[in-house]
Amino acid sequence: MIQLKDIVVRFGDFEALHNINVHVKEGEFFTFLGPSGCGKTTTLRTITGFIEPASGSVFMRGEDITRVPIEKRSIGIVFQSYALFPTMTVRDNIAFGLKIKKLKKPEIDEKVNTIARKVDLSGDQLAKAVSQLSGGQQQRVAIARALVTEPAIICMDEPLSNLDAKLRVQLRNELKNMQREFGITTIYVTHDQEEALTLSDRIAVFNKGYIEQTGTPNEIYNHSKTEFVANFIGDINPLGEGVVKGLGLDPRRHHFIRLERVRVNQPQADGVFCADGVIESREYYGLYIKYSIGVAGQTLKVIEKNDGINIYEAGQSVGVGIHPDDVMSYDAQ
Amino acid sequence: MELKKKQGPDLSLLWKVFGGALFAYLFLGFMVVPCLNTLTSIFTTRDAAGRMDPLAVLRFFAAGNMPSFVVNSLKLAVCLVITVNVVGVSIVLLTEYFDIKGAKILRMGYMTTLIYSGVALVTGYQFLYDKDGMLTSWLVQMFPMMNKQWFTGFNAVLFTMTFACTSNHALFLRNAIRGIDYNTVEAARNLGAKPFKVLFRVVMPTLLPTLFSLTVMTFITGLCAMSAPTLLGYNSINPEIVRLAGSSAADEAFPQARAALLSVILAVFTIVLLTVLNHYERKGHYLSVSKTKAKLVKQKIQNPVYNALAHVYAYVLFLIYMTPVVMIVVFSFQNWPAIRAKSLKLTDWTLVNYFGTRDYEYTTSRGKLKLRKGVISGVFSNADTVGGIRLSFVLSAIAAALACVIVVVAVNYIFKHRNRKRAAAVEACLLFPWLLPTILICYSFRTFFNGEVWYVLGKNLYYRENVRFLIIMAYTVVKLPFALRMVKAAFYAIDDELEDAARNLGASPLVTFLRVKLPIVLPSVLAVFALNFNALFTEYDMSATFHSSYGKSYAMVIQSMTAEEGRDGYNMNGSGRRCASTVFIMVISGLILYLVYGVGARDLGERLEHRKRRRARLAKLKGFFTGKSAA
Repeated sequence: MIQLKDIVVRFGDFEALHNINVHVKEGEFFTFLGPSGCGKTTTLRTITGFIEPASGSVFMRGEDITRVPIEKRSIGIVFQSYALFPTMTVRDNIAFGLKIKKLKKPEIDEKVNTIARKVDLSGDQLAKAVSQLSGGQQQRVAIARALVTEPAIICMDEPLSNLDAKLRVQLRNELKNMQREFGITTIYVTHDQEEALTLSDRIAVFNKGYIEQTGTPNEIYNHSKTEFVANFIGDINPLGEGVVKGLGLDPRRHHFIRLERVRVNQPQADGVFCADGVIESREYYGLYIKYSIGVAGQTLKVIEKNDGINIYEAGQSVGVGIHPDDVMSYDAQ
Repeated sequence: MELKKKQGPDLSLLWKVFGGALFAYLFLGFMVVPCLNTLTSIFTTRDAAGRMDPLAVLRFFAAGNMPSFVVNSLKLAVCLVITVNVVGVSIVLLTEYFDIKGAKILRMGYMTTLIYSGVALVTGYQFLYDKDGMLTSWLVQMFPMMNKQWFTGFNAVLFTMTFACTSNHALFLRNAIRGIDYNTVEAARNLGAKPFKVLFRVVMPTLLPTLFSLTVMTFITGLCAMSAPTLLGYNSINPEIVRLAGSSAADEAFPQARAALLSVILAVFTIVLLTVLNHYERKGHYLSVSKTKAKLVKQKIQNPVYNALAHVYAYVLFLIYMTPVVMIVVFSFQNWPAIRAKSLKLTDWTLVNYFGTRDYEYTTSRGKLKLRKGVISGVFSNADTVGGIRLSFVLSAIAAALACVIVVVAVNYIFKHRNRKRAAAVEACLLFPWLLPTILICYSFRTFFNGEVWYVLGKNLYYRENVRFLIIMAYTVVKLPFALRMVKAAFYAIDDELEDAARNLGASPLVTFLRVKLPIVLPSVLAVFALNFNALFTEYDMSATFHSSYGKSYAMVIQSMTAEEGRDGYNMNGSGRRCASTVFIMVISGLILYLVYGVGARDLGERLEHRKRRRARLAKLKGFFTGKSAA
């Protein structure tokens, strides 16, 4: 559907993207994930046409669109701020692209009404100013405006970043449902790993203008290819000398384990490294409990499901187990 | 999907070249060249033998009475700074900081000079305080020994300008005092500071940066004062420049060069003061570092004596502000004999000061009774006044619109080319008139274009009707800096993503500008238009400089109303028309301020809500008359 081939983007002397290669499949929900300044928005803006690459090509359905003007690319965009026109009503916002295309009024009305129904906007809401809508409703207007021109793909640049935590979770689900309903190829930019993991079919993790890894959420989380990805996605414990030696791992490499993979007071099993630890502190999250445990000369962070029974106090001794299969190892850089 | 390049010449490049050339023409032709001409005219004077004598004016300045005009202006500026700060600070403290009973009404009274300013205010004060003024007449009746001419010269100018300048002063200071975090006041009290200690050690220091800016601006206002010194008889720089501009070498020694020198002296003062101000403002203001700022709570003056004194002072000031306004409104509905007798007669109400005419009967020196038909006329029936209103309306509207168009196009360009030198250059060109006193620009226009100038098709722009074009250009140039600052602030509100969104949806740059960006900045642009129009409609300084029979603006008509009303039918009912004119100006200004800050401040959502409520009210009303209840 969309393919980026050896894309390089420069801003003056600064190279923002270095040989980016991505292939987004038809109907896929694809996420660009990474910290601020890693190049994910630059990549998106290269696809949408706001940035012209210094070299490399952008293909859509096999056709080179690198030099095609923005408005002729058939790409809908939902902006971070939604970019709804404040001086227009909701209806006028949605109809803007259709009016630019000089469609007849009855056709515009029909298309606007149809898309409004699909994104669950009522007739009353269509007559309102965008400032009179809630954050969630504004997001629906932005999606409707992007979809009404029937683009081939839709690009979303951190559309949930301006919302509070609760609404973000709610709208995340709505977004996924809408994408499934419309079946439209979606490229989504976010720095929120949880958002990326829950929404995406596949994720590309960006770092300093490179793509570190592309894969499904499971591949990214459980089989992080690089130390950066392992660190960026989820919380992780670097393993110290004592544990590394106990597990018989190569001390020249860096070894990590995810918090939920550390076993506390569990029966011994084959190949599992076991050691005595002491609870140093406890953070209560309700659904789970996070412990800091002093073990083999280092502190390990551990997450345990809150079953209401096995709750440990600071200073309490516990048995800590680590299975070698759960350890992620990377060459020292 | 291939990008198809248009065939034929690149029109955008043509537009850019044309736009750049036009901008350069306007900037050089109507800002730089006339002002440079003024500057050079100082050093190109000739002696009686016709020889060039570059230092003649400077020698004249040193030897003659010219320094007295500069000293007088400086004296006025210094005194004005003191009086405006005293009155301005006290009215803000009385209405915003101390708990004074009736503060809301007091605030409204103190703000009346926002809608009642300039020549209208000066002539209004004259109506009350000059030798035939109403208050003076009453005072003389009570104290026969009193000097009837007390309201002339320096004291009158200082008194008038103090109250004319405090509304704007208070407006800015009020915003500063409202920005104070009340927790800091509470903290000081908690640490043992007494209320007045808190005021002087905590509150006042935070106001100092604003006070400094206001002091500089007030100083410049005093230095460049025009209408009050002219009408109240005070020899300061500006009235002298206008007088010299209208004089000829046959009457006195090189008047034009002297006027030029005075205007350049004024410009040097202005530039130095604005540079100081700019330098000071760059240091920044005291900003509250509080994350959760508490709103200021009014402080009760605990000492009953001080409290009573504060109340007395507040209401005396209120009376000073309100008396002219009330008197003028009331007397604008009184007939000519009542106004002439300065006595309010409850039976003599009339609308003739606004509409219609009356005949005037008088006895000649030979004892013959004569009748002059229709010489007592109202503002909207007097040909001279209507002519002035019409001319000022048209010229102000054109100039205000022109300033807006130039600035909107320029700011759009500036924002498109942000961080580039050419954008900074365009901005600097538009701010250029801010550095120069209005009188210098107008004087330069008047002298430079009072002859054939090749780049305006060889026309003399000060000749006959051409002067109207010159006035429009001067009005426009003078209003550019204010328009730029306001419109630029509005453009900052446009999210870059809006432009991207419009482009993504297929809109061309022109469509994006017209349908997305312009509607967003339009309320601000209209506000700038309205405020500029309001300021220009009764503008005096420029009108006086360009005054001619073809350029007699409303302000000049109002000035002519202050001339003595003759017994033989000359300037009949001038005082009545003057009162009505002031009321008319107050209504126009009030309406404009309401439209700008009331209606114009609403966003689309609020406007839709208002429309909905209006329709509901109409439906209810309709239901009431038709007997059907509105759903």
